[in-house]
Amino acid sequence: MGIGYAAIAMKAGFTPLQTISMSFLVYAGAGQIIAASMVLNGATLMAIILTNFVVNLRYFVMSTCVLNKIEDSNVPLNILAAHVTVDESFAMFSLSQDSSIWIYLGIAITAWLSWCLGAAIGVVTLNLLPVIVTNSFNISLYALFVAILTPAVKENKQIALLVLITAVLNIILSQFLGNWSLIVSTLLGAGIGMYIVDDEYLLSGDD
Amino acid sequence: MDYVSLAILGCAIVTFIPRLIPALFIDKLNFSPKFEKFLNLIPYTALAALICPGVLTVDNQLWYIGLIGAVVAAGLAWKKVPMGAIVILTVVVLITVYSIVPFF
Repeated sequence: MGIGYAAIAMKAGFTPLQTISMSFLVYAGAGQIIAASMVLNGATLMAIILTNFVVNLRYFVMSTCVLNKIEDSNVPLNILAAHVTVDESFAMFSLSQDSSIWIYLGIAITAWLSWCLGAAIGVVTLNLLPVIVTNSFNISLYALFVAILTPAVKENKQIALLVLITAVLNIILSQFLGNWSLIVSTLLGAGIGMYIVDDEYLLSGDD
Repeated sequence: MDYVSLAILGCAIVTFIPRLIPALFIDKLNFSPKFEKFLNLIPYTALAALICPGVLTVDNQLWYIGLIGAVVAAGLAWKKVPMGAIVILTVVVLITVYSIVPFF
């Protein structure tokens, strides 16, 4: 994924330093790829920044979930934790048994640095990797998401139903809402889940 | 500053602010049990929404490539294969699929 982003950014005319610093400063998977594609297509600054805001607004929800779960927190560490909150770190931490900020920072900072390293590798090896290989790497993030979600789906029919409903909801909404669809489906899905998932499953944290 | 640098800086600011707000205020908030439940459900719904339909766009031309990857990953996870192995095996399967596709 990091490599794929670098390929688009370089094509859009980013310098190697800009390509890597965007991974470091923005740190948003899909958001960076969309921004780089928009630069490539010559979009206005306003359009790029606004689209990024909408695409990355889901991190508000994820950051709230992660920080609510963390038990040993203080503001400076929370700020660092907030910056390194992305889909992967949120997914790995929120469905795990651990609730320590150090565990979270360990997972999340590793992912952050790998993402930056990916961009650096992409800058260097650009055009050396065949499309087949970069496409195959694109699946890795989804494979991770599926791997995290499957045990919960297997164990609990109510969660399985909720996952199915949310997936269908997002497929439908993405036709009408575009970039807003992900966050709307996530929140609507959780709202529906209030009625179809029993409390005890969630409270026991039995993942 | 040039156009690209301004775009990066602008994106960095609008991405960081939504992440930062919970970090500053979370300790001062006490959520009701109902809202806690809502927050606890979000990981499941967010993952569902991240996977569908995004996984079908792993390859812009061949939608089934992503579907194959998702099915392989789910099958391995069902059999309790460790997470790292799932990711690696799924990538390997897709590289294999890509090498076979041209023959059809």
